[in-house]
Amino acid sequence: MADAELKQKVEELIAANPVLLFMKGTPEAPRCGFSMRVVQVLDSIDVEYGAIDVLPALQPLREVTTEISDWQTFPQLYVNGELLGGADIVEEMLDSGELAEALGVEQPEAAPAPAGPPAQSPPLQIE
Amino acid sequence: MAADLTEIKGMIETALPGSTVEVIDETGTGDHLRATVAASQFEGLTRVAQHRLVKAAVKARFDDGTIHALSVKTEVLG
Repeated sequence: MADAELKQKVEELIAANPVLLFMKGTPEAPRCGFSMRVVQVLDSIDVEYGAIDVLPALQPLREVTTEISDWQTFPQLYVNGELLGGADIVEEMLDSGELAEALGVEQPEAAPAPAGPPAQSPPLQIE
Repeated sequence: MAADLTEIKGMIETALPGSTVEVIDETGTGDHLRATVAASQFEGLTRVAQHRLVKAAVKARFDDGTIHALSVKTEVLG
């Protein structure tokens, strides 16, 4: 049974951020290879996203996402309030063009040229 | 204990009758697996929903600690 207060907080964050990534570590310093892969995907697409480091409250957050989305592992990318997927799904959707479509952005060129730091909102914290 | 790849494959095939399933041991340690699943039951589902079906099929082996990670690749079988 997930903590009700934390669950409500997470639901509010998902509702308030059109593109929200729950990850291990931060976009600047990912602490897990799968989280890093999703950060790389998002950075290759010109999209602003919020990021939440799950490590400080891993088990409680796992219980919350299990109840919200029936998904236990991190990273988790939410787009417009819905779980889009973890690293495997997000990479697959980038390659197929479905990710750009879901995010409402242009599909990046096959070999994206690194052009300055990507647009990114500051990391969000769960107190 | 390393996962029995044939058992894992069978669990997915039982949950998704008619599916084509390939399970490989990604790291050689028997607990990080990759499953490639093609099933007609995936039609009309989001990828997350497709993955949920696969993971639900092998949940017992997650719960008993046999598998630590399962990468999933799904395909709609036409």
